[in-house]
Amino acid sequence: MSAPPRETSPVRAFVDEVWGSIFRHGMPTTDKVAARTALTNFFLHIHPVRVKKSAIRVSYTLCLGGLSFFLFILLTITGLFLMFYYIPSVDQAYQNIKDLQFVATFGLVIRNMHRWAAHGMVITVWLHMARVFYQGAYKPPRQFNWAIGTLLLLTTLLLSFSGYLLPWDQLAVWAITVGTNMAKYAPIAGPYTRYLLLGGRQVAQGALIRFYVLHVIALPLIGFLLMVVHFWRVRKDGFTGGL
Amino acid sequence: MAINPYDTPRGKFRTRAETTRRQFLLLMGTLASTGAVIFGTVEVLKFMFPAATGDAPQQFKTNFTFDELTGGVDSNGKAKAGATVRSITAQRVSVVVDDGGIYAVYLVCTHLGCTPNYVPNVTSGSGVADTVAAARGDRSGSEQIPNGWACPCHGSRYFIDSTNFYGPAPRPMDWVSISVSPDNFFVIDRGNIVAYRQPGDNTAPQWRLLLNSKKDNGKTLGV
Repeated sequence: MSAPPRETSPVRAFVDEVWGSIFRHGMPTTDKVAARTALTNFFLHIHPVRVKKSAIRVSYTLCLGGLSFFLFILLTITGLFLMFYYIPSVDQAYQNIKDLQFVATFGLVIRNMHRWAAHGMVITVWLHMARVFYQGAYKPPRQFNWAIGTLLLLTTLLLSFSGYLLPWDQLAVWAITVGTNMAKYAPIAGPYTRYLLLGGRQVAQGALIRFYVLHVIALPLIGFLLMVVHFWRVRKDGFTGGL
Repeated sequence: MAINPYDTPRGKFRTRAETTRRQFLLLMGTLASTGAVIFGTVEVLKFMFPAATGDAPQQFKTNFTFDELTGGVDSNGKAKAGATVRSITAQRVSVVVDDGGIYAVYLVCTHLGCTPNYVPNVTSGSGVADTVAAARGDRSGSEQIPNGWACPCHGSRYFIDSTNFYGPAPRPMDWVSISVSPDNFFVIDRGNIVAYRQPGDNTAPQWRLLLNSKKDNGKTLGV
């Protein structure tokens, strides 16, 4: 005689149904379930199901790409908080930054996290590129990812530059003056590029709002899309050495 | 007799119309979408280039009068206050009074567009002899001191006649028109350049707002 079926409470049944609708597997206690966990999870599916231990050894190369991505996430979150206080107006921007530093609770921490993470990201992205170059990791089959990487470097630098001028202090105004005048030196397209960047012929309100939109929407979105492709290629091409 | 409208055309009509209705609609659709994409791209580009800008007007009036700057004009037609320089940094113009008259320099560094500051010792440490600097200025006797503008961004320096002599600036700064309004203030038009010099052109511009007549002498350079 088989054992009578276990009684389950309606609450337990409901919880099981909800859980089962989200996770189509049990706890990843065996290799098989672990593989299913990685395959059926949106956030994990970019990971290879099986990775060699030696390939994820963090060595002297410090997982610089991973560090860059971590800083990008940090910048996105802190930047979101900064946006609650910052108004891209030439009359208010500088005062907003002062408010962030001296009035908003933990505003100084948030702003400094954003600032230092930005400096850090420029450094880690450069070092990541240098690491890839010196280890010859740009060679086939990874040429395409090297090209995506150079675009990501450019995006990082543009993000850094556009963020630099948002406080609208002296440093910002003259940085944008010098930067857009450099663009003007380009043959034929130069003056048009400057007009497009400034939204006029003078460094004024039009320029601030343009760089703000670039900084908070356009460039992060471009960066995110490029990162998706970048990580996807890393996943396809695999790791050979440590991170 | 077309009994069923969904029947494909036959006979004489069919041979003349070699393109089927489906192909024709596909072609029209392709052309329409291509046109829409081109039109949309052009319009978006046009949208990004502002048709009107909020730029400040090029022309402005000073907050000091002719007499406040010059101290009046003496019998020799010279400014009683002597040679002087008044910078209006917010509008990026310096007004210079010398023996010949008055001129206005547009303080936009020809390197990358910062605003050079007026400095009384512009040749200091540049290796340029004071005599050279003095020759560029228009001051006489004991007042003949090296003076001019130094750019804070990358260190370009200019003599008082706006000729560049040090740093990365490729050419002299421009002179812009200055006139006297009926109520005796100055009107400066930064859109009206009266002396434009190419790289390497060290000619001293002769344009001046004359002190006696309060009219300019019309001696423009390079425009």
